[in-house]
Amino acid sequence: MSNTVRVQPDLKFVKELQTVGGDSLKKCYQCATCSVVCPLSPADSPYPRKEMVWAQWGLKDRLVNDIDIWLCHNCGTCSDLCPRGAKPGDLLAALRNMAYRNLAPFGFIGKLMSNMGGALMLALVPAVIYLLIWSAQAAKFGTAFPLFTAGEGHGAWELAKDGQVIYGGLFPGDYFIDPIFGAAFAFMVVCFYLGIQKMLKGFDSQPRVFDLTGVKKPGMLEAFIDTLKYEVFNHTQFNDCGDDEEDKKRANGHRMLMFAFIILMFVTGTIAAGHWVGGWFLEHVLGLHIGPVELLARLGSTPLPQDSVIKVLANIGAVLMVFGLWRLTKRRQSLDPKKFGSSFYDWFLLYVIWTIALTGIGCEILRLLNIEFLAYPTYFIHLIAVFMLIAYLPWTKLGHLVYRTVALTYAKKIGRIPMGAAK
Amino acid sequence: MSNNSILVVGGGFAGITAALEAAEVGHEVYIIETKPYLGGRVAQLNKYFPKQCPPSCGLEIQFQRIKKNPNVKFYTMADLVSVSGGPGSYDVKIKQRPRYVNNKCTACGECEKASWTKFENEFEFGLVKRKAAYKTHPFMFPMQYVVDGDRIDSSELEAIKNACQYDAVEVDDAERSFDLQVGSIVWATGWKPYELEKLETLGGGKLANVVSNMQFERLAAANGPTEGAIVRPSDKQAPKRIAFVQCAGSRDENHLNYCSYICCMASLKHVRYLREQNPDAAIVIYYIDLRTPGRYDKFKAMTCDDPKLTLVKGKVAGIVEDAGKNPIVTVEDAVSGIKSDEMFDMVVLATGMQPSTAGQQIQIGAQVDEEGFVVGGDDKGFVAAGCAKQPLDVMKTAQSGTSAALKAIQTVVGR
Repeated sequence: MSNTVRVQPDLKFVKELQTVGGDSLKKCYQCATCSVVCPLSPADSPYPRKEMVWAQWGLKDRLVNDIDIWLCHNCGTCSDLCPRGAKPGDLLAALRNMAYRNLAPFGFIGKLMSNMGGALMLALVPAVIYLLIWSAQAAKFGTAFPLFTAGEGHGAWELAKDGQVIYGGLFPGDYFIDPIFGAAFAFMVVCFYLGIQKMLKGFDSQPRVFDLTGVKKPGMLEAFIDTLKYEVFNHTQFNDCGDDEEDKKRANGHRMLMFAFIILMFVTGTIAAGHWVGGWFLEHVLGLHIGPVELLARLGSTPLPQDSVIKVLANIGAVLMVFGLWRLTKRRQSLDPKKFGSSFYDWFLLYVIWTIALTGIGCEILRLLNIEFLAYPTYFIHLIAVFMLIAYLPWTKLGHLVYRTVALTYAKKIGRIPMGAAK
Repeated sequence: MSNNSILVVGGGFAGITAALEAAEVGHEVYIIETKPYLGGRVAQLNKYFPKQCPPSCGLEIQFQRIKKNPNVKFYTMADLVSVSGGPGSYDVKIKQRPRYVNNKCTACGECEKASWTKFENEFEFGLVKRKAAYKTHPFMFPMQYVVDGDRIDSSELEAIKNACQYDAVEVDDAERSFDLQVGSIVWATGWKPYELEKLETLGGGKLANVVSNMQFERLAAANGPTEGAIVRPSDKQAPKRIAFVQCAGSRDENHLNYCSYICCMASLKHVRYLREQNPDAAIVIYYIDLRTPGRYDKFKAMTCDDPKLTLVKGKVAGIVEDAGKNPIVTVEDAVSGIKSDEMFDMVVLATGMQPSTAGQQIQIGAQVDEEGFVVGGDDKGFVAAGCAKQPLDVMKTAQSGTSAALKAIQTVVGR
């Protein structure tokens, strides 16, 4: 005999969903246009129609553990063609926002990072830390805007009236930059680790389709490498998402921004390795003073000369970043709000990266122009913005960097999306 | 000076009904109709639901009533230009386009044989072409040919005139204007099918074997282009697998943001047409909700008791065609949650009703809603009837015509 299943709607969840961007979900009348027009949605249990009905019914368990929200790359075709203006694209975006809020531990950070007021409060953490450091250093140097000349050894700076703006002089990296950001980074990694565990547990809890075709499924590592190759570097799913000119521009802008991040991460990594491995460990601790070691140490010695390969790379990264940001911001501004909502998560990420890009470039220019009264405050803001991005990464939209990669890996593993390039 | 005559704009089923009801209680009524014939959209139907009787039946009675009643005067190919005055005394300006044929016409068809230029046949929704001298359909009322005098050269017009042995073709016919004084106005301008071309994702107007429900009606009609044989437009073969796509452009804020009321019943009726011609045809209806209000539910139950008819909940959102011009529809079955591509021989788009005057300024300055349906106006001696007011079936259109007549009478009586 059939068992009567009584749907227990979680009304609080529905309301929460409506506040994070799914405000029009009640308009849906289940025509399934969205699932059909979605260029990525698979044939078996396609999205986002089923998510719309789950949301209306308040089936929280289904939605928060739904892998399909990460398969969607949000071209908005479903919302464009939705006959009711129910904006299924916005619902999936809202569900991702909820995931940023709830997946990682420390729920209060997620809550604060879901609105501007909370985010500004969290910004006080780095702001207070660096303001204290700045004050202490100002007391030591007798000025808040000191100028320096090079001292003995790497990274040693001496106060000089007609010297240069040196950020590492005011905020010595060894004591104030690297340890703080190292800790923030470690905190972020641990939170992500726990978030991923929660996410995978959620995916595992969902009903399975038993595959009797006998086709061998890839392992997690194989799927991960495939995801990195085809989805991260080549954006194959993203490129298939939407087929008009604007969608192509969006995927391009995103890719550009991603490469900018990779380049800048490589730059930061090289400098850190040069400084800590070359300058500190090999030279200072082991006392090695041979050619390759000196070269490595010089790579880690900031500020880099303008003709250094690493500096050139950093500048290319900055230009790419601004270009990608420009495209993505322009696009978001041009969206029809009746079809495509933009949440705090969308804007916040753009704001933060814009702040990092502009203050980063500003720091370089102001340092070269030697305008200490502008250079140091710009650097201060740059530090806060970078801290915001790194320390709170799991709770921002940039969390998709990790969560989407994991979800796509899992999706490849279970055969929800194909291995190799999409389609 | 008050006036107790009534103007009816639109000679379709609502307009004719309103005119006759008012005329038969003694009011002088004028009908103006923009097309060359009376009967409107009903004349284009093959059968009415739910009794599946032909429209010639109902229209024939109405035309007889018009012929016998001296109170009814009608003008075809006539359009309203302007209205001035107010309830009880409207001054109406009307423009009538030339027909080039007078009432000596016996509809012998010699003029048609003599003409050679071909135009798209509006009555058949472009399924076939017609000559410059033409009769819209065999059941045309008034039974009087039309010549597209403005669109052909003088030599052809001369040839047409010479072919007529009854002296019915008037080569010098020209547009004329005239005024009418009336006390009240019934607005029965009716509907038009939603434009297929706007349904881009469904291949509307582009794919050979994707037709609208009104085109399908003509294909099934004995007086239609195929003499009632339902065939694929591309190769004239009888289709074996047919899909109906409900809500094609209806209940959709990107197209018509309302339910057109009749399309579900129309598609079920079309299933009956198909079943009569081909007992083995496999038919699928893709729907959001199958809406068969009131007594129509019985019609649905009877039609759906058919092992070769499948009802699938899911709106078709994409149609392409293969090399053999077979339409392939993409749809998600919302019950099973499977998205698939299905190939058919022919697809019928159940397009909705749009007010004929949608997007136009209504001359009498009545209020229309954002879709173009008339709202209010009764207090100004101006009454909307039929599908100018809301999507309706024929039965409710007749009721709406009768009710409009009463309101129009109330406006002119007692002034």
